[in-house]
Amino acid sequence: MPKIKKGRVSIRIDMTPFVDIGFLLLTFFMLTTQFKPPEEVVIELPFSHSQYKLPESDVMMITITKDDRIFLGLDAQGARSRVLGEVVKRNWDYYSPDVRKQYGSPEALAKLALSVEVNVKDLPDLLIKARITNPKLRTVVKGDKDANYGITEDVMNILQKTQITRFNLITNLEHN
Amino acid sequence: MGAVDSAAPRGHEKKKGKKRKPRRIGIRIDMTPFVDITFLLLTFFMLTTTMVQPQTMEINLPPSADVKVEVAESNLMTLRIKEDASIFWNMGIESPKRVEFDNLKALLRERHEQNPKLTVLLKIDRGGKYHMMVDIIDEFNVAGISRFSIAPMLELDLKVLAKVSS
Repeated sequence: MPKIKKGRVSIRIDMTPFVDIGFLLLTFFMLTTQFKPPEEVVIELPFSHSQYKLPESDVMMITITKDDRIFLGLDAQGARSRVLGEVVKRNWDYYSPDVRKQYGSPEALAKLALSVEVNVKDLPDLLIKARITNPKLRTVVKGDKDANYGITEDVMNILQKTQITRFNLITNLEHN
Repeated sequence: MGAVDSAAPRGHEKKKGKKRKPRRIGIRIDMTPFVDITFLLLTFFMLTTTMVQPQTMEINLPPSADVKVEVAESNLMTLRIKEDASIFWNMGIESPKRVEFDNLKALLRERHEQNPKLTVLLKIDRGGKYHMMVDIIDEFNVAGISRFSIAPMLELDLKVLAKVSS
């Protein structure tokens, strides 16, 4: 018996809804995505089980790096140049040539860099000044997990002296 | 895939009326590359986006270093961390005992259950690492100990520790 050849059935799928959803998702991701701001130094965060979220605004961030350097950053640009402008101008010659070349002038650095390197002895004045500029500021300490405890202790003492007794440490969430 | 269709050309209209109606031309645009690019972008944004906000751990310091807080000796536990991350603990004025980090959680929980008024004094050597502090405070939080304080490691503490470990 001869085999009956099956005719190929051409399939036409309406792709419109699929494409619609695709666009919807694209718009969603494009609008919600926030690009990571360029960081001056790479910080490897320690882990903890704590689950408080970092507040989105009014943040003053003290960054402690592996090599005992301290960076101070404020999220509002206006406040940043007002608080840090003077120190940046004074310390301009101490910054690395890369940083100086990247920003060009102390004014630009204070305005554009998210955080600038500061001296430990300048820190108390800066913290007080920042709090005067914006009393709602929340202080956040972002320390590298291999930073020395000594410098962290100094920073905490300064915080205590400047009456910032409540602050947050940034950590990564530990799963288990 | 996607295609734009306009009305099909109507042939008969041309013959009749004198006025020439502009004829609609059927446009068919191949939307495939457009949709391709869109999905490429979609994948890009989906992969690069990170929804997580960084986690934080809250710390409260006493308002001023000068304020003396009286703590009963039986409620006070002192944790001393040496430079090499070894942990020593003692209650009141007992002599310090060594504990491994893995057993610390159980120890803290047990002590906290025995005495809910437990206050822990954390002393970390200046040569230690930042993550030691975070790890230990995290253990406090997990064990439910909300009363703890951070104090500097003094010469005296080091002497006590040296006596124990030798």
